[in-house]
Amino acid sequence: MISFDHVSKRYGTLNALQDVSFSVPKGQVLGLLGQNGAGKTTAMNILTGCLAPTAGGVSIGGNDVILHPREAKRMIGYLPEVTPVYEEMTVRAYLRFACELKEVERKAIPAHVETVAEKTGLFDVLDRKIGNLSKGYRQRTGVAQALCGTPEVIVLDEPTAGLDPRQNSEMRQLILSLAGEHTILFSSHILSEVQAVCDRVIILHHGKVICDRLLHDLHSTEHRLRVVVDCPEEKLLPALRQLQSARRVEPEKNDDPALTQAVLTVDGSGLAERELFTLLSALQTPLLRLAPVEDSLEDIFLRATMDETA
Amino acid sequence: MLAIYRREIQSYFYTSAAYVFLGVFLTLGSIFFGVSNLAARSGNLLALLSELSYLWMLLSPILTMRLIAGERQRSTDQMLLASPCPLSGIVLGKYLAACTVLVMAVICSGMYACVIAVYGRLYAGEAAVGYLGLVLQGCAFIALDLFVSCFAKSQMTAVVLGIGVNLLVWMADVLASAVTIEWISRALNFVSLYQRFAPFVRGQLSLSNVMYYLFFIAVMMFMSVRALDARRWSEA
Repeated sequence: MISFDHVSKRYGTLNALQDVSFSVPKGQVLGLLGQNGAGKTTAMNILTGCLAPTAGGVSIGGNDVILHPREAKRMIGYLPEVTPVYEEMTVRAYLRFACELKEVERKAIPAHVETVAEKTGLFDVLDRKIGNLSKGYRQRTGVAQALCGTPEVIVLDEPTAGLDPRQNSEMRQLILSLAGEHTILFSSHILSEVQAVCDRVIILHHGKVICDRLLHDLHSTEHRLRVVVDCPEEKLLPALRQLQSARRVEPEKNDDPALTQAVLTVDGSGLAERELFTLLSALQTPLLRLAPVEDSLEDIFLRATMDETA
Repeated sequence: MLAIYRREIQSYFYTSAAYVFLGVFLTLGSIFFGVSNLAARSGNLLALLSELSYLWMLLSPILTMRLIAGERQRSTDQMLLASPCPLSGIVLGKYLAACTVLVMAVICSGMYACVIAVYGRLYAGEAAVGYLGLVLQGCAFIALDLFVSCFAKSQMTAVVLGIGVNLLVWMADVLASAVTIEWISRALNFVSLYQRFAPFVRGQLSLSNVMYYLFFIAVMMFMSVRALDARRWSEA
């Protein structure tokens, strides 16, 4: 449904996006993660035609955004980082305008506005001025305009930014309710939110894709094991680093110098535990504890961005 | 394009922009009428229209500041750019909305003509040509200031830039008569909007002058679209 093909964007000497390629199948909810300045908003602006790429191309439903903008844009609903509302308008007039922009048939507009308002919880404030609404309702109004015209692709740039925890939860529910009907591209700084809402995550760092995984794969491709062994660090750590399945060995602080506590990052082949037991029996050191470490998306994000920086 | 046009018209009247524009135009227009016509006991409508045309220089940026710079300031430009409406439709819709408010102001100024018609002698043909010139002059300034608005990030900058550029256009007229080098003087006369306006307030309808205004407006529209498009390719 969405395809980024070797997209780059330069702002003067700054590479905002560098050779970014990925595609999003129909119905998927994709989370774009990255630190400030990673290129998330640039990617979304290029996707929606607000910016043009320096190199590469983006297509939506097979329509190139630059070559066939009208066809491509008909398939998009976009909520930018700053909610694009006209404060002097009522919610109804604003949504009506959004429908006209999306070329909804004139006769169908009043009913469509009410359907969208119902879906986004704006029905009770339809005739109020947007300038008088709370931040949460304004954000909902922004989502509602993105839904006008029933686009197949919804692009939401940090839709929960600046909302209080309750509004945040409501917005998350709203996005979840859209997930079945639309392909959603969603960016956020709140990792738990991405974890709760998305099927897949792409981590951007300095304009490059450094991680592109389905969320359930994030936990299965790499395992982390916490081990506590009755053996001093100087003796055990070099041996642990020699393990074939160990990608990384990170010692952890512990009060007893006779013990070693460490986190092993191992591949998902299942060989790690076998290798570890063989090693420890060869060293004749007792294993006191072996437990898997559950990674949160935050850990993965931090590790991915740290690795890339290093 | 019609959606943009309708929204802009509504927005002019939901906010104070149209009222400020109409209020200042009619207040200053009435002062000119009082001094030039009533106090001087003159029925010369064309002289009044000539004076009114100078108001466009100051008032046109009030109408245009919101059109592009205002959208950019509120970040609503992204909603428009992400819509299927082409850039030319966006620019044209906004331009026509501003012109509609300007035409409303000109229609309101018709009361001066009515007073002259009742208490003096009004030549309808001359008056019609004069009003046509006044509208074309105003529409040309709106097109110019809309283009200028494409380069401003805030409405205030758009107004200051707009008035500055309008004064330059007026200066071209003044310079044309001051410069002694003939080809420069001729070139300045050619680009001067006021030189093109002068025949209208003499009651002379010239097709070449009408075409000049239409061409000027079309060029400004085209350049506005290109300026917005260029921003998509380069904007930081």
